[in-house]
Amino acid sequence: MTTALTAVHPTVAGAFIALLIALAIFSTLWWMLHPPASFVQKLAKEAESELERMVGSIIVVFSPDILSTHMMALAAKLARGERSELLAVYIVEVPYTLPPDAEMPIEEREALDALGAAETIATNNGVSLRTETIKARSTKQAVLDLAKREKANLIILGSFREGKYTGAPLGRSIEEIAADAKCDVLIGVEGKHGTLLYEEPTP
Amino acid sequence: MSKDQKPELRRSVTPWGSFSWGYSDVGADIFVGLGLVLGAAAGASNVAFLFAGIVYICIGLAYTELAATYPVAGGGQYFVLRGLGDIFGFIAGWAVLLDFTIDIALFAWSCVDYLSELLPMVSSSGHPWAHFILTIGLIVGLCVLNVIGVRESTAFNGFVSALDIVSETAILTLGFLFAFSPHLLVHTMQTSWPSPFEFMKGISLAIVSFVGLESISQAAEETQRPASIIPRTSVALILTILIFALSYSNLALGMHTWHPIPLDANGHAQFFWQYLGNTENNGKAVALIAKQVPYWGAIAAFYVPVLGAILLLISSNSGVFGSSRIAYAMSSGRLLPSIFQRVHPKFRTPTVSLMVFTGVAVIEVVFAALPSLNPAMATLYAQHFNGESGIDFLGDLYAFGAATSYSFVFVALVALRLFDPLSPRKFKIPLNIPLKFRGERAEFPLIAVIGFIGIVAILVFTMITHPIGRIAGPLWIVFGILLYFVYRKRKGLPVLRSSKRDWRTEQTEILRRAGELELMDEYLENLKASEQRRAEANA
Repeated sequence: MTTALTAVHPTVAGAFIALLIALAIFSTLWWMLHPPASFVQKLAKEAESELERMVGSIIVVFSPDILSTHMMALAAKLARGERSELLAVYIVEVPYTLPPDAEMPIEEREALDALGAAETIATNNGVSLRTETIKARSTKQAVLDLAKREKANLIILGSFREGKYTGAPLGRSIEEIAADAKCDVLIGVEGKHGTLLYEEPTP
Repeated sequence: MSKDQKPELRRSVTPWGSFSWGYSDVGADIFVGLGLVLGAAAGASNVAFLFAGIVYICIGLAYTELAATYPVAGGGQYFVLRGLGDIFGFIAGWAVLLDFTIDIALFAWSCVDYLSELLPMVSSSGHPWAHFILTIGLIVGLCVLNVIGVRESTAFNGFVSALDIVSETAILTLGFLFAFSPHLLVHTMQTSWPSPFEFMKGISLAIVSFVGLESISQAAEETQRPASIIPRTSVALILTILIFALSYSNLALGMHTWHPIPLDANGHAQFFWQYLGNTENNGKAVALIAKQVPYWGAIAAFYVPVLGAILLLISSNSGVFGSSRIAYAMSSGRLLPSIFQRVHPKFRTPTVSLMVFTGVAVIEVVFAALPSLNPAMATLYAQHFNGESGIDFLGDLYAFGAATSYSFVFVALVALRLFDPLSPRKFKIPLNIPLKFRGERAEFPLIAVIGFIGIVAILVFTMITHPIGRIAGPLWIVFGILLYFVYRKRKGLPVLRSSKRDWRTEQTEILRRAGELELMDEYLENLKASEQRRAEANA
């Protein structure tokens, strides 16, 4: 074939048809890709938008009675996916028999371990984490005050089902925080602490 | 999941995924069909495409309604089985199987044609042996990939489909913008109008450009919210393909080419459509049009042959995969021997089905290639089959298989409207006559009748105008029916009647599996209301 080129022949009809083709293809595909949502999809969408509201700012709480290391790993993954602000706090409960700023070396050492582990988890997951140790008379009040100060969206707590108190099998502080907090509360109970009401018969 | 539970297909196909599964099958058809139709219907090619397009719209609407109502893997074969019973379900499935084997052969053949635009050493006219060997190599390669379980991903299909739609839209819009002359179109239509025989042949080949909508129905079981999504993807596919087919045919007839058209074999000047429709070029017409679009053609000349070859290869692969899947479904429904369900112990793929139907495709390629490989065979074909070329032979059978299975689908649609009016239809073909049938309110679809008349006309055109199609097509059906009779007789199953099935339980289960819970509730309510009406009537 020779490479000689002929002149172009633009016509009004040709331009009109060209426009019509482009519009028809584009509008057909747009219509196809935007089907109305089903009831189940609407439910799912609502839940997803709730999640965005829920995970803007997350506080992970530790204390001698609240073991949250396993929940810290979950919080770090959640924070990474949702780009949330993450704060790990260790509450040292100071008994009324001591002054509010009393030295409590054993609890403070435990706090360093717990928060150190939390930082490692955060680093491994590529998220930034603030840490804080708070001395307070009541764990519940300290957490609720902190949540208010930080405008937290979610408080994450780990429980080991100590079951010391009647009506509070997850631990008194945890249940009180869950009952009174003005934001969402996620409590993680490790399965290994559970007890089945009955054992399945072995064959 | 417990050991007793059967694994269900995961519903991961999105609207674009569903569309692109269909598009990678039907979208490739125009790459093959355009040249064939231009060669047969000449100046009336656009009218041939319009006629086949109207029938295609009816087919598309029928498939859309049926796939949205019965979202199961199986497509046309399942609809006919459910509407008309086992034997007709078998014939429809057997015709679809013929189409899938032709799909494998025809698109592998055309894939090499498109490649030959960049690699002349594999052109069918200049180097028939190289073309033949490469075609067979591609088919065997696809079979091996399917046996070991390697398939192109939905993401890859989606990417190729998107690229192709953008590319074809660019070719057509720029072609119409810079090179289209309405006067030339009218002149070509007036001076090159074909004889009635050629026109009928053109129409029967034009339907080739619209085969493959089945793929969307085939993937129904894996599509998210199939009853809602499939109507949209099907209608979008129908419109997209129709716009492309009508636009290409009109552009080819009314285009001022950017480069001069070479003289024909006898040294005479030829029209552009004649150049596209001759035996040497009819397998790669879209690439040649793209090359002739001012400015864009300089780029399109390089990538359109490659894009066309990829799309055709995917389409060929969908034939390999689809044939094994249909055979497996037919075997599960006890329409074919259980050997077709046998899976490879290591790869877990239906090896027997894959090898048998790929083998059939290889035989079809051999028959198609014989005239170009052996001069004696060319003489024989010229004497007995109007000198049809290899690609004509494959096109004949493709049109026959499609027209046969589509005819049954229209009848099945009518039957299901009458005998299963309680199944909720999220999409319903327009133009219906309300009536009462067996005490239930039903709607008789007029479009199905129009479509049936259209597709039977195309079937008749195929039988009249294609000497190979009218022999090989019916022979395939007769062979299948004999196989069916022998199998059913040996298994002690009813031969002419259908096995008993509980369609109501099955329909509830289908809707539950599809995640169409609202439709499932509606179906159960319809059943309850119907039983109540019957009880009241009896009382």
